[in-house]
Amino acid sequence: MARRGDSRRLATLLTPATLFLGIFFLGPLAIMVVYSFLEPGLYGGVEWNFYHWNYGRILGWADGEWEDFDPVYVDIFLRSVRLAFTTVVITLLICYPAALWVSGLSARWRTFAVFIITLPFFVSLVVRLFCWVLILRPSGFLSSVLMGMGIITEPIDIIFTETAVLIGMAYVLLPFMFLPIYASIEKLDRSLLQASSDLGASPRQTFFRVTLPLTLPGIAAGAVLVFIPSLGNFIVPDLLGGAKVVMIGNLVEQQFLSARNWPFGAALSVMIMLVMFSLIIVYLRRLGRAEVRA
Amino acid sequence: MKIPWMKRLLSLYGLLFLVFVYAPIMVVVVYSFNSHPVNMMVWKDFTFDWYWSIFGYPTQLNEQTLYVESTDQLLAAVKNSLIVASSTTAFSTILGTMTALALYRYRFRMQPFYQGLLYMPMVMPDIVLGIALLVFFVTFSVKLGLMSIIVGHCTFLISYVFVVVSARLAGMDDTLEQASADLGARPWVTFRRVTLPQILPGVVGGALLAFIISMDDLVITYFIAGVDSTTLPVFIYGMLRRGVKPEINAIATLMLAFSFIIASLGLYLRARN
Repeated sequence: MARRGDSRRLATLLTPATLFLGIFFLGPLAIMVVYSFLEPGLYGGVEWNFYHWNYGRILGWADGEWEDFDPVYVDIFLRSVRLAFTTVVITLLICYPAALWVSGLSARWRTFAVFIITLPFFVSLVVRLFCWVLILRPSGFLSSVLMGMGIITEPIDIIFTETAVLIGMAYVLLPFMFLPIYASIEKLDRSLLQASSDLGASPRQTFFRVTLPLTLPGIAAGAVLVFIPSLGNFIVPDLLGGAKVVMIGNLVEQQFLSARNWPFGAALSVMIMLVMFSLIIVYLRRLGRAEVRA
Repeated sequence: MKIPWMKRLLSLYGLLFLVFVYAPIMVVVVYSFNSHPVNMMVWKDFTFDWYWSIFGYPTQLNEQTLYVESTDQLLAAVKNSLIVASSTTAFSTILGTMTALALYRYRFRMQPFYQGLLYMPMVMPDIVLGIALLVFFVTFSVKLGLMSIIVGHCTFLISYVFVVVSARLAGMDDTLEQASADLGARPWVTFRRVTLPQILPGVVGGALLAFIISMDDLVITYFIAGVDSTTLPVFIYGMLRRGVKPEINAIATLMLAFSFIIASLGLYLRARN
């Protein structure tokens, strides 16, 4: 029931956040998009002319005079997508059984398990990655232990490889996959599993025909939540991939902090943003359809 | 019914999973007490010296190696982090709570737009938001410093507070507010005496979350921090890029302890309600 003064109160509550997010969130994103269509200045900075070769340089219609098309950008983009996708698969394979395990515990242990699994998520990203630097470098923990046990004689060099990047990425993004899957398993109607086995389905059949399809929304949510931050990540490839595993995030960072070609960097991040938006839209569409069906 | 051996296998896996989550952290904690000055991974003796040396006290190890470049810089970074985190927490908690109240209490046409606007900062990749803010500040000649970091953090932390408070509001009993209004309490009084006490756990939880995320943020801060406004994660990231040093173990362990305490406090508060 609308009373007098309601709309004024609503306006009071909403205005500060609206202004703030409008100016400092939507504003910067809009300016970044504008920048991606500007001409890079000779000594850093920008010229305020419309310039579409920034995208041409990435996708292949560069003018060949100032901007050269270099397939390396497409390669880096594809590599980032591949690594982000692999991270999704790895975290899924690690987290699904773990979520099954936690949901099978007694109520008290369940709360405790969720607590200790999410706890490291609150630790600074850089600290969690430092742990892996310490473990994976040639004079690190892994090599020392394996050599001490006599399994290997030479230090192994995992750091600065795609494997190292994938390990680090999976480690820091684990909770984003675990929590949605766990939530969807928790929501699962146990009587359906009972019904399935009563009707003579084997545990394997029950899992693949009942449990897995019903927890698919959780998997989808986890996949989106892991894919997006891994795609644009530059800290993990920087610390664990070095110069050998360059991802799109590293490219953006270089454009802004060392190459000083801001329009080009802006164009690259617009592309990351587009991938993100298309993923979210697909996800929301599918979710909407799934809810209609349910 | 599941076969017992499968259950046992699952439990075994669960333990392995916990090892995977905690072992890397334990490695850092354990080796932060290792006194070997050259090879960090060869255990020599138990020592607190790395902890002393990060705070600038002379130790035996310190005289040999002089690893930490500057304790002053480290402490300045900690101070900056605390200033940023507390300002952002205050600001984003107020704005996030207000927005949550508005969207929960009132039905209006722009509602879907606001839902989208509030969820967007959380899914926006850090690097995109970071450089967008950098371009924005530079375009409008805003000096990069603590202020720009605070503004930058608020853009996404409002959303986190909003989500936590909204969840709390969804489980709230509306009738009390109505009763309060029917009994003639003015809106502000109703808010302070009825609504706020009920949503307080959500507000506190949101604030703690905002504080911890702000303390830990690396990517966005990395782009919009000025020369003299480095925060702790950015400082450590810089140190790591220049090489792995034993002091980082000690700093990392202290940060771990700090994060664990804040997070436990938050989760404890939530569990109690």
